[in-house]
Amino acid sequence: MTAMYHRLPVSAYTSQDWFDREQALIFSRSWRYAGLAEDVPEPGHYIAVQAGLNNLFIVMGRDRRLRAFHNICRHRGTQLIRAVGKSQKALTCPYHDWTYDLEGNLVSVPDEAREYPGGLDKSCLGLKPASVDIWRGMLFVHPDPRAPGLAEWFGAVDPHLGPHKSDQLAEYPEARQTYEIKANWKIVVENYIDVYHLSHLHANTLHMYDHAKAEYGWKGPHYHFWEPPSAAYAKDLEKNLPTPRVIPQPHTGTWVPMLFPGIGIGASEDSWNLFIITPLGPKLTRVENRTKLASASEWEFSKQAWSSQGFWKNFGGPKYSGSDASGEDDPMASGDFTAEDIYACEQQQKSLQSPYFEVGPAAAGESPVIRHQQAVLDFLAAQETPAP
Amino acid sequence: MSGFHSLTVAGIQQEAGGSATSVTFDLPPALAETFRWQAGQHLPVRFETGGREYRRCYSISSPPGAPLRITVKRVKGGVVSNRISDSLAPGSTVEAMPPAGRFVLAPAALARRTHYFFAAGSGITPLFAMIRAVLDHEPHSAAHLIYGNRSARGIIFREELEALAAAFPDRFTLRHVLSSPRLWSGFTPWRSGRITRDAISAAFAGTPPVAQDVQYWICGPGTMNAGIRKALMELDVPAGRIRMESFGLSSPSGSTGPAGVAATASVTVNGSRREIPVAAGQTLLEAALASGLTPPHSCQSGVCGACRARLTSGRVEMRAQMALSSSEVEQGDILTCQSLAETSELAVVYKD
Ligand code: FES
Ligand code: FES
Ligand SMILES: [Fe+2]
Repeated sequence: MTAMYHRLPVSAYTSQDWFDREQALIFSRSWRYAGLAEDVPEPGHYIAVQAGLNNLFIVMGRDRRLRAFHNICRHRGTQLIRAVGKSQKALTCPYHDWTYDLEGNLVSVPDEAREYPGGLDKSCLGLKPASVDIWRGMLFVHPDPRAPGLAEWFGAVDPHLGPHKSDQLAEYPEARQTYEIKANWKIVVENYIDVYHLSHLHANTLHMYDHAKAEYGWKGPHYHFWEPPSAAYAKDLEKNLPTPRVIPQPHTGTWVPMLFPGIGIGASEDSWNLFIITPLGPKLTRVENRTKLASASEWEFSKQAWSSQGFWKNFGGPKYSGSDASGEDDPMASGDFTAEDIYACEQQQKSLQSPYFEVGPAAAGESPVIRHQQAVLDFLAAQETPAP
Repeated sequence: MSGFHSLTVAGIQQEAGGSATSVTFDLPPALAETFRWQAGQHLPVRFETGGREYRRCYSISSPPGAPLRITVKRVKGGVVSNRISDSLAPGSTVEAMPPAGRFVLAPAALARRTHYFFAAGSGITPLFAMIRAVLDHEPHSAAHLIYGNRSARGIIFREELEALAAAFPDRFTLRHVLSSPRLWSGFTPWRSGRITRDAISAAFAGTPPVAQDVQYWICGPGTMNAGIRKALMELDVPAGRIRMESFGLSSPSGSTGPAGVAATASVTVNGSRREIPVAAGQTLLEAALASGLTPPHSCQSGVCGACRARLTSGRVEMRAQMALSSSEVEQGDILTCQSLAETSELAVVYKD
């Protein structure tokens, strides 16, 4: 009997096979987050992104429209573009200097007449196009140039994601970070959408929101979640917000959706945060965080910090303290909910290896965990069914 | 199905201080299906005056779903446009054929596009229908209009456009470009001059595409269209994303247009062939009608494509070929309403 972890076999969290299948069928066949719109700010700027098995790049033309291409030279496949940068009108491959224009057309081949005496049909050797679009201020890419659009993919869940206009907020660069978690990507997703753990693991770190009043659900493979501020926080909310508001009154609460696959957003009255989950291996996952705040003056930030000081001074604390803590750097004594989550994910992943692992009954607040497992199964099944 | 129907005028509205007229029709339910249109299409109409028949195509300026409305620019000395402005009233009837034309924006609820519209003068009419169609039926898309006119007084649909900009602040922007703005008009355009490459580039920078499936729609006189298209292509816009239509009644007067030579044409209509004379300067369509043939036709201004035929021998020169795709032109298709003979012998076949 294969050991099961609710809907999925335990091997879905540990084996290279499952990892490869998910890379090929999920992460290479869906819209991938590729950055913020401001990462490609001007004509000629470009970025390269890995989307599952595909390396793609996005470049802006002088019409300010973005184009996406597979980052593969049509000659011998060398990657054309490295990370981020700026080019004039053309993209030249470093290997033999084949050159493409911003539409992906092959425009020049060095020594063409001598090297290709039989002639070369450059018109058939353009870069392979991919899809790119911007949604809620985020760049998305899809390896298929004819992929169904983002309105189709996110349209149904969009109304549940909060009133934030993230494209009008300003990035807070200090909050940008990337870290690795020694756990399967689905463990990280499940932790993000586990409603049950909020009042327990984060008993002392996330209690400015009222978890008992959380409203959550699914639109296709996408999860949406909202909960109101707790009574103590709401009592003087405008005063208690640590930074200036990013959504108009009377909106309150926090929206914490998880879009498929692995695109987490955490947005509240005063900030908008990204939590992008990328599988690196069966037991290794990368998380990228970016934060946007109100585009307001320093003075307004100081004012808000000052007014909220009183509330935050007495707020929160570590889960374990004193003799329960295992030492100075025990994540459970950190008072930081991210450290608490990483700790929980890594401990759970370790146990999945044990022949004695046997999953216990799922609580009501864990229903999203099971629903996400089903979303993975459904997406794989749809990809494995031959098109009619 | 096709052919002319009598439509009753429901309302008449003067636009832009009387320089254009909007005519709204009462479509009886029985004709609703026949007269279903797509944003960007035009309505072929027929008038008889002084024993002569005149045919014109006027752009439909209302989006599908709204009452059928055409907007007609008053042309100095224009028989039909003046007749429309001066003598139509609610209750009058107009002979019209079902809407036609291939300059069409079909909105899709799940499409997510950025549309840039470039209009000059009465070129706004089909674009106005398109903009409304996008705002009403393509909720995830945005529309940006750059609209050129001589002066503020001549701006057709000025209030309606302003109302749309106020109603859809996140999805519609409006930029007026005036070539001779009046100092004291109390109206400040976005820019003065023409819709140049710089102006277009500034508009793109001001309202860059959010949705990356971008379409460019141009409607104005032929020269403006060509200029904007060239500017767009210099800004890296691929030709395949540009759609344009030049408004009908700009047939060349004077020196620039082709002159044509006298010729004999073999014309096949409905499978039967006849030899007819073509005078220098006469279009093949005019010659055929003058000889009593009944070839298909409608707008007579190179817009609708109804008069299309295949040229099987000889050469013609076309004043305009907007209604033909480049592959049709390569295969030898011509618009007979725009074609003057270039060789003294010709053969054309209308396919039915
Ligand atoms: S591999 Fe790119 S030019 Fe040869
Ligand atoms: S009649 Fe319309 S194009 Fe000739
Ligand atoms: Fe958590």
